[in-house]
Amino acid sequence: MAELAAGMNVPANARDIPARTQLLAVAWLRWRIFVNSMFRRRPTGTRQALGLAFAILLRLIVWPFLALTVVGPIVGSGFFAWMAIAEKHPQGLLPLFAGIALLWQFVAINGLSVAATVSNFDPSSLARFPLRFGRYLVLRTLIGLLTPSTIVGCLALLAAAVGIGLASLKLALPALVVLAVYALMNIFFTRMIGAWMERWLANRRFREIFGVLMALIAIGFQFLNFQRAPVHAPGTANSWLLNFLHGSSPYLHWLPPGFAAHAILRAAHPVEALAQFVGLLASTALFAAIFAIRLHKQFLGEHLSEGVSRRAPARSVARGRALAKETGAIAMAAPAQPGRPAFPPIVAACLRKEWLNLRGNVSQLVGMLTPLIFIVILNRAVFARHSTYFLPGAIAYALMGILAGLYNVFGADGLGVQVYLLAPIRLRDVIVAKNLMSLAMIVTEAALAWAVVTVLARSPIPLSTQISTVLWTVFVIAANLAVGTVRSIQAPRKFVPGQAQQRRGTPTNRTSGLLIMLVLLGSLVLQVPVTILSRTFQEQWLGAWIFGPLAAAAILAYAVLLRNAEQLILAHRDVFAEELCKV
Amino acid sequence: MTTPAIDTTALTRRFGDFTAVQNVNLRVDGGQFFGFLGPNGAGKSTTIRMLTGLLAPSSGSIRILGEDMKDNPAEIKRQIGVVPEGMALFGRLTADEYLRFVGQMYGLDRATTLQRTKELLEFMQLADEQKKLITDFSHGMQKKLALAAAVIHGPKVLFLDEPFEGVDAVAAGTLKAMLQRMIARGATVFLTSHVLEIVERLCTHVAIIHRGQLVAQGSLEELRAGGGRAGQKASAEAAEPANAKHRSLEDIFLEIVGTDREGNPAATPPEQELSWLS
Repeated sequence: MAELAAGMNVPANARDIPARTQLLAVAWLRWRIFVNSMFRRRPTGTRQALGLAFAILLRLIVWPFLALTVVGPIVGSGFFAWMAIAEKHPQGLLPLFAGIALLWQFVAINGLSVAATVSNFDPSSLARFPLRFGRYLVLRTLIGLLTPSTIVGCLALLAAAVGIGLASLKLALPALVVLAVYALMNIFFTRMIGAWMERWLANRRFREIFGVLMALIAIGFQFLNFQRAPVHAPGTANSWLLNFLHGSSPYLHWLPPGFAAHAILRAAHPVEALAQFVGLLASTALFAAIFAIRLHKQFLGEHLSEGVSRRAPARSVARGRALAKETGAIAMAAPAQPGRPAFPPIVAACLRKEWLNLRGNVSQLVGMLTPLIFIVILNRAVFARHSTYFLPGAIAYALMGILAGLYNVFGADGLGVQVYLLAPIRLRDVIVAKNLMSLAMIVTEAALAWAVVTVLARSPIPLSTQISTVLWTVFVIAANLAVGTVRSIQAPRKFVPGQAQQRRGTPTNRTSGLLIMLVLLGSLVLQVPVTILSRTFQEQWLGAWIFGPLAAAAILAYAVLLRNAEQLILAHRDVFAEELCKV
Repeated sequence: MTTPAIDTTALTRRFGDFTAVQNVNLRVDGGQFFGFLGPNGAGKSTTIRMLTGLLAPSSGSIRILGEDMKDNPAEIKRQIGVVPEGMALFGRLTADEYLRFVGQMYGLDRATTLQRTKELLEFMQLADEQKKLITDFSHGMQKKLALAAAVIHGPKVLFLDEPFEGVDAVAAGTLKAMLQRMIARGATVFLTSHVLEIVERLCTHVAIIHRGQLVAQGSLEELRAGGGRAGQKASAEAAEPANAKHRSLEDIFLEIVGTDREGNPAATPPEQELSWLS
C-alpha cells in the first residue's frame, strides 16, 4: 500500500510519458490478446484430439483456396505490370493500379463486418488513457494493418514495382517510391472509410441499409458477365463494364491511380513526374486528414449513437409492456377461450415473441430474399437446363442460410434465456415454438424457391423429381432440426441481432461449427449422388425410395429428441449460464 | 483560495433532442470524499463520462485540478483514475497482463509496474487468479480488478461509478479502507452509488442530480440542515433543528428526488394497483 500514495512515481506530465512505451504497450496488448484467444479453454482428452483433427482438416481444406486467392492478384499484378512496360502498353498501368485499389477497398470494407464479429479489441477504448492525439492517431493507423486486404494489396503493389523494374531498370526506383506512397494512400483511404463507417454503423438502421447494400453489390457482381462478351471476340461489343471503364479512364488520370501511373511513366520528364507525385501525395494527405478529423472527435469523447433520441427506450418499454400483454401474460393467465386454440398457451406466447423478433430484423428478411435473387441469376446459366438438378439445387441454396440458424436457436435470447429456465413451463414447449417459427420460415423459403424454379424452368419438372425433392426436403429439415436442437442446447452462443460486435466462440463452439457444416452441407448435397445414380440406372423413383425412409427416420429422431429435450436442457444449464447469461 | 479538484461550469450534454445533463455547476475540493447521487437515469454516468474525458459536453466547461479538459485532456487523464460503469476491461487478458498494460500506458517504468501489479493483486485478493482470463472472472472480481487498474498510477482524483456493486462484504471493506487511505494522503474520490448507507458512511460531501439538473450540493451537515439545495441557502428554519441531526441521507434523498417537476410530492400508488400481489 505504500506505493499507492497519490501522485507517486508517475511521470510529471503527460508529455513525459515516452511514446515508445505506450506504442509498445499496445503492441504487447494485441499480442497477448491474440495468444490468449488461441489457447483459451482447451478441451481435454478425446475432445481435444477430435478438435485438433477437425482444425487440421479445416485448414487443409481452406488454406489452399486462400493461398490461391492471395497468390493470384499478387502474381497477376507483377506479370501485368511487366507486360505493360515490356510490351509497350504503358497506359495499362492505370487500370492495373485502379484495379488493385478497388479490390483492396472492397475486401477491406467487406472485412469490416467480419473483423467486428471476431475482434476482441476495440481500439477506440484506448482514448481513456493519457495519450496525446498524435499517438492516438498513430496507434489507430497501425492497429489492424495486418489484415488480408492490406497484406495482399501491399504485396500486389510490390509485385507491380518488381514487374516494372524487370521490364525497365530505370523505372525500378521511381516505381518503388511511387507505389510505396500509393500503398500509404490506400491504407489511409481504408482507415478513413473505416472510421466513418464506424460512426455510421453505430446506427442500427444504417447497419441494416449497409447489409442490404453489400448484398446487392455481391449480387451485382453476377451481372459483370465477362463470358457473354469476351474482350477478344471479334465483332462483339464490349460488356457494359468494359465500356464504363473505358469511358471513365479520362477521369482516372485525375485520381490517385492516374497520379501513380503517370509519376512512374513520366520519370524521364522530372517536372511532370514530380507534379504527378505531388498529386499523389496531396490525395494521401487529404485522406489522412479526413481520417484524423474523425478520430479527433472520437478522441475528445464522442458518443457514436448520439443521433438517437433517448426517448427510444421509453418507446421500447411501452412496446415491451404491450408485448408482455400480448404474449406471456395473456397466454398464461387468460381464461380458456371458447373453441380449441391452435397451440398450447406457452407455445403460442413463445411463437408470438419469435414473430415479433423476426418482424424487427430486417437483415433476416433480406437474408431470405437474397437467395431467391441468386436463383433467378442461376437460371440464366446452363444450370437451368437440367430441371432434375435445378429444383433441388435451388432449394438447397435457398435453405442453406436459414438451416444454419437452427443450430443456435437460443443465441439471440441472451440473458433472457433465464426466463425460460425460471418459469414454470416445459422447456420442450419453448423449443417447439422456436422450431415452429423456423419451420414456417423454411417452408416459406422453399415454397418461394420452388415457385421461382417452376416459373423459370425451361423444361417441365418430372413428377418423380418433384416427389423426390419433397421427401429430400423433409429429410433435410427434420435432420437439421434434430441435430440443430441438440447443438443449440449443448453449445449455445450469444448473439445480438443488429449488433456488429459479437462474442467470439470458444474452441468447442468452433469445432462444433465444423460439425454443423458437415451435417448441414452433407444433408444438402446428398441429393446430388442420388440424382446421378437415378440417371445412371434410369430409375426415376430412386430418390423417393431413398429419401422416404430417411425422412421418416429423421422425423422419428426429432420426435425422440423432443421427448428428451427437457432433461437435455436441464443437464446443460451451466452451459447456458456460461455462454448466454454472461454480461 | 485553493484550486478545486473538479470544477464544472454550466455543464450540459444533449443526445439528440434529449438533455441528459443540464447546466451542472459542480465544485469538489481536493481531498474530499464526494458522493454523487441521483435516481436511475438522472445523468450520473453521463456526468462522470464527461468529467473523465470519455464524452464531450455539448456546452459548458470542465476543469480538473485546474486543467481545462478541452485544452489538455491527456494531462487530465494522467492525473485521474476511473472505474467506469462498464469497467472497460480487456477480457482476453489475464489480471496480471491487464495491470501491466495499464501501468505502461500511464508511463510507469517496468519495475514499478511489476511491483504495483503484484501488490494490487494481493491487496485485491486476486493473486491466485492472476493467470485466469478476465472474461472468466466473476462480476465482483472484475470490479476489484478495474479498481486496481484505476489506482495503479497513483491518481490524484479517482472517479468510481458504482464501485461496490457486486462486490462481497469482505472485499467492500478492503476497498473502503483503500479509498480512505487515499483520501488521507490528499487524493480526491468522486463516487456514485445507489447504496446510500455507504455514501453516508464514506463521503463528506454530496451532490444530488435529478432529471439532469443538480438539485443539491454540499456537506452532509448542510444537507441535513436543509441547505445546499438549488436556489436555497442553508438555514436553521429550513428544517427542524432537533430532527436535523438524525435525518439519514436516504430521508434527504427521498425528500429531494421524490417530487415531481413542480416540486409536489410524488403520488403514492393507489391501493388497488398491483392488488394481486400477495
